[in-house]
Amino acid sequence: MSRIAAAFRSFFSILFSGALPEDIALKFGFTKARPAPVAVAVEKPKLNMSDGALQMLHILQRDSRLIDFLMEDITSYADDQIGAAVRSLHADCRASLNRHLGLVPVIDGVEGTYQKLDGSKAPDPNRIKLIGNIPASGKVPGGTLRHRGWAVSSVNLPPIGKQDPAILAPAELEVE
Amino acid sequence: MSQFIIGIDLGTTNSALAYTATHAGDHPEVTLFRVPQLVNAGEVSELDLLPSSLYVPGPKEFVDGALALPWNDRPAYITGLFAWKRGVENASRLVNSAKSWLSNQSADPTQPLLPLTAPEGVQKISPLDASTQYLQHLRAAWDQAHPDATFKEQSVLITVPASFDAAARELTQRAARQAGYPEAIVIEEPQAAFYAWIARNPNWREQVKPGDLILVVDIGGGTTDFTLIAVTESGGELRLERVAVGEHLLLGGDNMDLAVARYAEQQFAQKGTKLDAIQFHSLWQQCRTAKELLLSNETSAPKEQPLTILGRGTGLVGGTVRGKITGKEIRNLLIDGFFPSVDPDAAPQRPRRAALMEVGLDYAADPAVTKHLAQFLRQAAANAGAEGFARPTHLLLNGGVLQASAIEQRIFEILNGWVQKAGTSPVVALQNESKQTDLMHAVAQGAAYYGLARAGKGVRIRGGVPRSYYVGIETSLPSVPGLPAPMKALTVVPFGLEEGSKVELPQRKFALVVGEPAEFRFFSSLLRKNDAPGSLIEEIGEDLEELSPIEVFLPPHTDGTREEVVPVTLESNVTETGMLELWCVSADGRRWKLEYNVRERAVAA
Repeated sequence: MSRIAAAFRSFFSILFSGALPEDIALKFGFTKARPAPVAVAVEKPKLNMSDGALQMLHILQRDSRLIDFLMEDITSYADDQIGAAVRSLHADCRASLNRHLGLVPVIDGVEGTYQKLDGSKAPDPNRIKLIGNIPASGKVPGGTLRHRGWAVSSVNLPPIGKQDPAILAPAELEVE
Repeated sequence: MSQFIIGIDLGTTNSALAYTATHAGDHPEVTLFRVPQLVNAGEVSELDLLPSSLYVPGPKEFVDGALALPWNDRPAYITGLFAWKRGVENASRLVNSAKSWLSNQSADPTQPLLPLTAPEGVQKISPLDASTQYLQHLRAAWDQAHPDATFKEQSVLITVPASFDAAARELTQRAARQAGYPEAIVIEEPQAAFYAWIARNPNWREQVKPGDLILVVDIGGGTTDFTLIAVTESGGELRLERVAVGEHLLLGGDNMDLAVARYAEQQFAQKGTKLDAIQFHSLWQQCRTAKELLLSNETSAPKEQPLTILGRGTGLVGGTVRGKITGKEIRNLLIDGFFPSVDPDAAPQRPRRAALMEVGLDYAADPAVTKHLAQFLRQAAANAGAEGFARPTHLLLNGGVLQASAIEQRIFEILNGWVQKAGTSPVVALQNESKQTDLMHAVAQGAAYYGLARAGKGVRIRGGVPRSYYVGIETSLPSVPGLPAPMKALTVVPFGLEEGSKVELPQRKFALVVGEPAEFRFFSSLLRKNDAPGSLIEEIGEDLEELSPIEVFLPPHTDGTREEVVPVTLESNVTETGMLELWCVSADGRRWKLEYNVRERAVAA
């Protein structure tokens, strides 16, 4: 598995299910829920996490305050209030993404138009998800492009060094 | 022989490095060097510019190793973008505008003065050493990228404002030496901007003709510089001669952006929102972008731009405050504030109090650039013995602030109004192709091109020293108690003294005492163009500006001779690198160099 794919699977797995995928965890030397022999309770908990994924979150929070936004309860705010905040967040967030990741579509076509595929074999499920009336063989000559998909062509993350990956944003104290 | 020619724009707010191969063909390509620098803690990235900002980090302020650069694991200072970013959060450790202090008459730039507001216990740094740090950063970055062509082996040019006096130029050279540079050549920024134009317009000879007069207006981040270049002809070849430069004007694009941001801040304050430093900084950035959009002169230009101040703390949407700024407001602030429509006989206000922003720097009292321009053109005419004001035929504008097209347009309108009233044809714009980037980088690129020109691969602007210089001589009249002895001024450097030439002044002898420092009062003039070397000015008037004194020390003899007084004459010369030097020469040929005494500035001012 490529580093990019591993980093991304880790990122989204942690983001949505709160844990690393098992195969990746094993590959990086972690074992899931290792049975603790005796109480080592006082020791700082070792974090089961992919540093790169947390680093990306750290960057998005630092540059665009994405975590602040996602974690804020926005139900009571009017749309234009949210809109004003998001416009600025969106620009910063996008700039950060573009700076650190090369984002390209999986299929560079016009959405809504017919897209030809190699009909002799079923498409790579990593890259293409078939929806609608899929034949039993899984082989299709093409279909209407509903979503172009996103792929990462390059990752450019600075070395983490001694930065604590678990701190997505430090607390700020203003000294009077 | 060097492999590359390197041009460095050591700017007030941003610095840049451009280079070209020494053995370039007929159409030399000048490349902008992308400077690796810290952009966040622990993140090094390459940018076109190195912000001229320095941050003095505290002992435990950053995670260990977070400030490492590819060439230095533990730098003592942060230089570049991250210094500037962190400085927003903690201004008391941030050094900005070090360059402006090099030409400042009220403080010694070799003393640790900055940051001005640093709390006790923070190690301050001198403006000279801060400039050294920026130059050193550029050198180290270059060496990192070119291990086979180290910086020291290249031919290096550094730009200075045309209005820098001899002492400020010397300090720039000194910073370069401290930064481990080879002997660097100094070139004036407006000239560099003009060289950049020549480099990009191989057919430039078709665009100008003998008799033309080109006005270069260079609005940098912190300074505005005017220069006039005359086109002449000699032996069928076009020649360029720099005929006038303006006074030192501490007024630039940053002041303009700040004016807009302060206005917007007031608008928020009226609605009851008080901004903290970080929010104000965000507002400043937004105002800069809004300015460029609103003043773009495109028909599609928007009428107004939203300004958004995000809430502090983890609540983002809840604390968000919205405002807006309209094109009309920005026009009022910038166009009418900094570029008002004035007559060619307009004069800037003199008192130097109103626009103080930072203690110690002589910011221009009158922000009206057009008034300063009118005064400059009148002085240029007077110097040439003409009536009225000098009438340029062409205009070259340079500087990031001119990305706002409406400002460019306003300068043209005013200048054309003046020349047309005087009966001359309208001023022609000297255009570069890709405006957006050129305005920021032209100076560094032009400097590299000038390096080629010096090597004989292009046209050179002639001009020499843009001022005349004088030493004060006490008259032999009996002194009156309570009054200083009357002074006369001896012309020691004529206007336009060229590189590689010297002037001897055998007429006047001075007696220097061995073992004691001797000091001369030192004056310069941008206005008196026709004083011959050795000529004496009876009365020191408004047109002479007193600089810091110059001094010389004749060391005592060690060989036992009991010489006590040495009669000397003065000699001045301009080195091949563009530095002005003054020497004392004895009858038997011994020579002592006179040094610029920057320590005495406070007294002299």
